[in-house]
Amino acid sequence: MTDQATPKVAETPVDENRRTLLKGAAAVGAFAAGTQMLPGMVPYIQAQSSEPIKVGFQVHKTGIGAAYGRWYDRTTRAAAKLINDEGGINGREVEIVAEDDGTDPKRGAEVIEKFATQHKTDVAFGTLFSHVVIGSSPRAGELKMPYFVVSEGHHVASGGLNRYTLQPGITDVKSQVQSMAPWVADNLGKKVTMIYPDFAFGHDHRDFFSEAITKQGGEVVAKIAIPPTEKSFTKYFPQIPRDTDVLYHVMVGPAVLTFVKELGEFFGGRGPEIFGFLDSLEAVDINTPGLEFLNGSYFWEGNPRYTSDMSSEHDAFYRKAVGVDDTGASITDSKDIATYSHMFGCWETLHIIKAGMEAADYSGPGDQAKLIEAVENIGVMPHSRAHPQGDKLFNGRTHQSFGHQFISKVEGGRLTPVHKTSIFDGYYPDEVDYTTQKL
Amino acid sequence: MNMNLASLAFFAALAITVPSDAMAHASGRGFVLLLPTTTMQWSGAAAVALSFFLLLFIPAHALKALFRERIIARFPFPRVETVISLVSLGFWVALVIIGLTGARDPLANPLPLTVWTLLWVGLTIACAVFGNLWSLLNPWSGLVRLIAARSPLLQLPERIGYAPALIGLLAFGWFEIVDLAPDDPARVATAVSIYWVATLLAMLAFGERAWLERGEFLHVFFEFIGRLAPLRFHRNNGVRVTLSFPGAGLIHSPPPSLSGALFVLIALAIVSFDGTSETWWWLAQLGINPLEFPGRSAVIDQNTSGLFFAAALLSGVFIFSLMLGLSLTRTPPSLRKAICRLALSIIPISLAYHFAHYLIALLVNGQYALAAATDPMATGADFLNLGQFYVTTSFLNTRESVSLIWQVQSGAIIAGHIIAVCVAHHMALDLWRDSRRAAIGQIPLAVLMVAYTFFGLWLLAQPTA
Repeated sequence: MTDQATPKVAETPVDENRRTLLKGAAAVGAFAAGTQMLPGMVPYIQAQSSEPIKVGFQVHKTGIGAAYGRWYDRTTRAAAKLINDEGGINGREVEIVAEDDGTDPKRGAEVIEKFATQHKTDVAFGTLFSHVVIGSSPRAGELKMPYFVVSEGHHVASGGLNRYTLQPGITDVKSQVQSMAPWVADNLGKKVTMIYPDFAFGHDHRDFFSEAITKQGGEVVAKIAIPPTEKSFTKYFPQIPRDTDVLYHVMVGPAVLTFVKELGEFFGGRGPEIFGFLDSLEAVDINTPGLEFLNGSYFWEGNPRYTSDMSSEHDAFYRKAVGVDDTGASITDSKDIATYSHMFGCWETLHIIKAGMEAADYSGPGDQAKLIEAVENIGVMPHSRAHPQGDKLFNGRTHQSFGHQFISKVEGGRLTPVHKTSIFDGYYPDEVDYTTQKL
Repeated sequence: MNMNLASLAFFAALAITVPSDAMAHASGRGFVLLLPTTTMQWSGAAAVALSFFLLLFIPAHALKALFRERIIARFPFPRVETVISLVSLGFWVALVIIGLTGARDPLANPLPLTVWTLLWVGLTIACAVFGNLWSLLNPWSGLVRLIAARSPLLQLPERIGYAPALIGLLAFGWFEIVDLAPDDPARVATAVSIYWVATLLAMLAFGERAWLERGEFLHVFFEFIGRLAPLRFHRNNGVRVTLSFPGAGLIHSPPPSLSGALFVLIALAIVSFDGTSETWWWLAQLGINPLEFPGRSAVIDQNTSGLFFAAALLSGVFIFSLMLGLSLTRTPPSLRKAICRLALSIIPISLAYHFAHYLIALLVNGQYALAAATDPMATGADFLNLGQFYVTTSFLNTRESVSLIWQVQSGAIIAGHIIAVCVAHHMALDLWRDSRRAAIGQIPLAVLMVAYTFFGLWLLAQPTA
């Protein structure tokens, strides 16, 4: 098991990109650490204005993202409360201005416009669904509105967006998928069959993982693409080659429960090792009848749902603040499972906005360009209350953070973390340099 | 069957008294896909078909006795209608102000929650139990009585029938199903204000009563739904309370005009299309991958067409079924008379669809409404002393609760259709004045109702985006 809390630069072979990144990170990291490691002890800064800092929260309150939006909202409110309890940002209170985007890209762009012209927010923040990010980002760029997304999508680091769009509080799917390969190859096997939905989400997993497992000396022996509207899966299982060591699945949507049930019936407890992404069962109780077959299988988790000996004091603090118990459920309803693998991104991003504003001595919308530059230089973010999921490394050129991932085993009705990846397991070369774009 | 329905009704009543959250959940139907939905579709449709055949053996006088209204209480009613309506007006003014100035989050602002959850869902269910409560609660009558002349300035032409209410209903349905942001507080505040002013002007011009009865779509809708109520409050020199089998009011009240009948059909079509438009099946027709639904903005034209097509299709199929029924019998009543009378038999189905379709929204958004009530201006207030209050949707993520909700929804659909078949049979006996001809004449309509039961249960079983 690897448990690298901080990147061990000297021991890790790095390419030129990474070396440059770390050089910059080292310079600013010390500052970032200084301002973030001791929450509650932030020195009081004489506010230049008594006006609150307005954070425009673009939230999926309705539409297909609503289930995630509810937890993103809850996490954001808890983070804002903590920041305000500890003196706000530069001595100013943080005010969350939540606007529903209906999980729709056109409405998303309208919401960005409202933040800029109507509410006059200092930043926009919080978007999860990729198509809303992609629909909103151009407008944020035109309006020079710093736009902090919490989306997991590779669209930021791939270079498709602009200098005003950043993803500093959560890793992207490319990094997540890639970082799974070493452990899967070493512990579960090298011959992998992938089952994925036949559209962009599934294709990303197929492409990123195929490349990563090959580098580990493994191979994908079969790629089984399932039509997105499929409701019955048994007919696809005979396509799984007999010599498969690991079955990698990333099914999503309402039919995922049927998929698991039928997979269990097909193998009857005998079969290859099974590895999946928790996106399939985010907010679903792992003890749901019908999911027994998952016992003994492994999942990627962005942030472990159940507490374990791997959990930190910072996670405990964060859990308490958002009202989540040791099993990942709401403290007021033990059946209400949080979107725990994703929602920490809102908490961490809000703290990064705070750190960036403090570093830029931000005083108002005229300083938005300074804020972008400050965040681009934020570099290393140490494991702390502000970053309860773990330390992170922000690549200022690609506007994307890199962090740890977790692999958990389903056993005894719990998800038990068995591995924490290194930050560099998920690192990949730059595909863009946003700092060359004009502010 | 009776025991089954009774227990389902009990659970339904229990469910609606518990305040609860939410909008579509991407995996909300995941558990439904594991339930025996196909069996329920066939058995539900069979139950409705069986009810129709059993009715043919029940003597007309027994059926008439079933639908007899019995007076259970009389009491004087103080003349407080004007005051109630004025208080309601004050409430709506406050809501609109909060809509414009309060929280921007539609699930924290009381205005959209009141319009979409308390009014459109909650009040509809209340009217189905207690009659048209909107006639007391509407925010115009009190003011109009205070400021308007005794006789209206203009006569609302008879020939336009329910046309203004129909237009209002379709506009409302379009806003709900197609508009990009129907929950946006400022948008709702604007829509409510425009509608309130337009309605006030129309009432001043054409008179309060005339406009309520044929122009104000909410009053028209709640009036039709209210005729289904087992408990009815008749105001005339005090209040007379009657109790009857649900639907007696549909039978004993005068039939509407042709446009009124269309109103009833289109109200059902709107809710039916709302459910259909969320299904994978509909998205497949549009060539959209449901797992990456692009959002409302991508389907505005398609859903606008779908909404109007659904309204035309249901009306057309209903009228065709009556034409077919009339052609099967000698000395039939006129088609117009049959449409106007029998359209009211659709109302139990309409209510059942309404209840089943919105039940989850009520369970989720009811909780948000409670949270908004305790802190209406999003200032951190806690007027209801709820303490730390988190909205939960866990009942959408456990097999037992999803199964219970689905059974309640299915039970409502089946019960609504069985009541509709009973009401239609009573109406057919009145129309044809002959048991045999009435039985033959309503066969196509009964077939339509059985098919609609199947469709309703199919809708509840479909995965949604």
